[in-house]
Amino acid sequence: MDHVIYLATLVGTALVLAAAFSSLIAFRFGAPLLLLFLGIGLASGVDGLGLRFDNAPVAYFAGSLALAVILFDSGFGTPVNVLRQAALPAVTLATVGVTVTMAIFGVATHYLTNFTWLESFLLGAAVASTDAAAVFFLLRAGNIHLRDRVRSTLEIESGTNDPIAIFLTITLVEVIAMGVDPEAKVLVTDLIVGFFLTMGLGAAVGILGGFGIVRLVERLNLDHGLLPIFVLTLSLLVFAGAGALGGSGFLAVYLAGLVAGNSQIRAASVLKRFQDGMSWLAQIIMFLVLGLFATPSQFPAILGVSVVLGLFLIFIARPFAVWLCLKPFRFPKTETAFISWVGLRGAVSILLAITPLLSGLEHGRDIFNSAFIIVLVSLVVQGWTVGPLARRLGLIVPPRPGPIEKVELELPGSAHHELLSYRVVPGSPVLRGERLPRWARPSLVVREGRSMKFPDFGRLVAGDRVYIFVSDRYPALLDRLFASRVDVDPEDADFFGAFAVDPERPASELEAAYGPGLAEAEMNMTIGELMLSRLGGRAEYADRLTLGPIELIVRDIDEKGKIIGVGLSFEPTPPQPVIPENLRERAGALFDRILRRPVKEKAGEEA
Amino acid sequence: MDLSDLIEVQAIMPALKANSKKQLLQLLAERAASITGLPEREVFDTILQRERLGSTGVGNGIAIPHGKLAGVKRITGVFARLESPVEFEALDDQPVDLVFLLLAPEGAGADHLKALSRIARVLRDGDTVAKVRGTRDATAIHALLSDTQASHAA
Repeated sequence: MDHVIYLATLVGTALVLAAAFSSLIAFRFGAPLLLLFLGIGLASGVDGLGLRFDNAPVAYFAGSLALAVILFDSGFGTPVNVLRQAALPAVTLATVGVTVTMAIFGVATHYLTNFTWLESFLLGAAVASTDAAAVFFLLRAGNIHLRDRVRSTLEIESGTNDPIAIFLTITLVEVIAMGVDPEAKVLVTDLIVGFFLTMGLGAAVGILGGFGIVRLVERLNLDHGLLPIFVLTLSLLVFAGAGALGGSGFLAVYLAGLVAGNSQIRAASVLKRFQDGMSWLAQIIMFLVLGLFATPSQFPAILGVSVVLGLFLIFIARPFAVWLCLKPFRFPKTETAFISWVGLRGAVSILLAITPLLSGLEHGRDIFNSAFIIVLVSLVVQGWTVGPLARRLGLIVPPRPGPIEKVELELPGSAHHELLSYRVVPGSPVLRGERLPRWARPSLVVREGRSMKFPDFGRLVAGDRVYIFVSDRYPALLDRLFASRVDVDPEDADFFGAFAVDPERPASELEAAYGPGLAEAEMNMTIGELMLSRLGGRAEYADRLTLGPIELIVRDIDEKGKIIGVGLSFEPTPPQPVIPENLRERAGALFDRILRRPVKEKAGEEA
Repeated sequence: MDLSDLIEVQAIMPALKANSKKQLLQLLAERAASITGLPEREVFDTILQRERLGSTGVGNGIAIPHGKLAGVKRITGVFARLESPVEFEALDDQPVDLVFLLLAPEGAGADHLKALSRIARVLRDGDTVAKVRGTRDATAIHALLSDTQASHAA
C-alpha cells in the first residue's frame, strides 16, 4: 500500500515540477507556457511515457475545481476601476461574442465534419471561451504594456466568458443526450430562459457569497496562516452552493472573488499572494490532467479538419464576433484587431469538451479530440505572435514612470497605506527644486548604502532610493515627483503625436485649423471637453481619439481626471485589418442583410 | 511626397537672426509673403492663430508652424536655420533653431496634414538635423531636406 502512495506522489510531483521548470523556459523564449504544460501532460500520457489515465469524470472534476480556483483569483485581482472601464465591452464579448462565435463556428463545423447540427454547435460552444492566463503570461513575459482599456477588456472578457461557454456546452450536451431532436424555436426559448435563470442565480449567490466571505473574514480573528485556506474553502463553497441550487457556479465564484477583492478585505496582500500560487497550481494541474487524459494516437483521424477549424476560428469566427461586439464602443481598428487575435483558447475549452464524453455521446471522443487540436492550434498560432502583433499595431504604451517597488502593508486600524520605494531619477522635479509636500516626505532615504531619516538627508540627489509611507490616494503624484517624465524621443512622438495642443483652447479653433468635422454642439466646447465627451466621459493616459484626418492623444491627465496635455498626430494609426478587407466587406454585407437593412450597391456592380 | 515638392531653394533662410518667437514668425511670414504674393500680415495672423492652439515647437530645437490660407495656390514651405536659438514654448522647453513654416490652400485637406507629418518625420532624423545645423548654405540645406532616407520611408 505504501508503495502506491510513494509512487503516485513521485509521479505527481515530478510532473508538477517539470511544469514549474518549464515556466523558466517559457519566460526565456516567450513560448506559450500553457502549451508546455499541455505538452508535458501529453508526453507523459498513454502515447508517451505510458501513464494510463482515462477517467473522464475525474478529469472533469479536477478541471472544474481548478477552474473555480482560477476564476476566484481572477475576480479577486480585478480592481473595480478596471471593471468600470471595460465592463460593457467585455460583457458584450462574453455573451454576444461567445454566442456569435459558437454559431459561426458551428455552421462551419457542420459542413466540414460529419457532426450533426447540435454536435457542431456543441463543439463551437466548447471552444468559444478564451483563456486569459495564456495571454497575460505572454504579455508579462514580453514586457508589453498595453493600454488600460484593451487590457481590462481582455481581462474581464476572459473571466466572464467561461460561465457562458460552460452553460451553452452543458445545455447542448443535455439536449443531445436526451436524444430527441427539438424544434429550433423551443430550443432557443429554453436556452434563453435557462440562461437567465442560471446566470441570475449564479450572480446572486456569487455576490451574496462575496459579501459573506468579507464579513466572516472581518468577524473571525483567524490566524494569518489559516486565513487564505479559509477564504479559498469559502470560495469553493460558493461555487458548489450556486451549482447545487441550479445556478452557474463558475459565475458565482468569479463574482464572489470580485466582491471580496474590492471590499478592502483584511490581509488582502496575504490572500493575493496565496491565491496567486494556488492559481498557478490549478493551471498546472488542469493542463497536466487534460494532457494526460488526451490520447494523441487518435488525433490523426481528425487532424486535418480540426486544424482547418482552428484556423477558421482564429481568422474568421472570432474576428467577426469581436468586430460585431466592439462596434458600438468605438474601439480603434487596431485595438479591435488585437482583441480578436488575443482570443486564445485554453484549458476551459478542453475541459468542456469532456462533457460529451461524460454523457456518452456518440461522437464524444471526436468532439474532444477536435477541441484539443483546436486549442493546440490556437496556442501555437496566436500564442507565439501576440507580442510581435501588439508591437506592430502600435498598442504598446511606453512604460510610465513609477515606483520601482511597492510594498503594501497591513496595519491594524488604518488599513490603507503603502510603502513605496523610488529611485530618484536625474532631471526629476524633486531635483529641479520642486518643493516636497508634507505627505511626500520620504520616511527613509538610502544613499550609497547608508540609511537616513528625515530631515538628516538634506537635499535629495539623483540615485537616492527613497521610501515613502503614503496613503493609497497619492502614488500617482509621487510618480510625477520622483520619476522623470517620459522623454520626447522619436518613439514617443509616434505614440503621443508630434505636435501639442492646449486642451483649454476652444474646439472651434481646431476645426478652423484642421477641419476634423466637429458637430455644432462640440464647437462650443474646449478641446479637453470635446475629448472627454468623445471618450465617454473618462479620459485615460495615452487614450487616442480619431477626428477625421487628425488624431488627438491624451498626454497627461491630472489627479482629478482632467486632460492637461494633448498630443496631435496627422497620421492616424493605420488600420491593419486581421480580416482581409474584401472579406470584412462581405461579412459586413451579410450582417446587413441579416438585419434586413438595404445593402448599399457599389457603383461598379451596377455598371 | 518629397519635401522638395514643398520648398524651393529661395525659400530657405540659412542663417537667420531673430530675438523672439514673434520676430521669427514675422520674418518667416515676410519670406512666405514674397514667395506667394500674399499680404505679410495675413500670413503672420494665420500662423499666430495656430500657435495659440498650442506651440508648434515639436522638441529638439525644431518648430513647424503652419496654417491654411485661402489665397495660397499650392502647399508652400519656408525654412529657417537660426544663428542662435529662440524661446518657442516648445514641448520640451528647449529653444528652437530650425523652423519649417508650411502654408496650405484652404482646400488642401489631407495633403496639408500629410506634408506636415512628412516634415516632422524628416526633422526627427538626428543625422539630417545635425547636418542642417552644420551648414550655412541654402542649396545644401535644400538637398539635405529633400534627399533624406526618412523622406522616403513610410
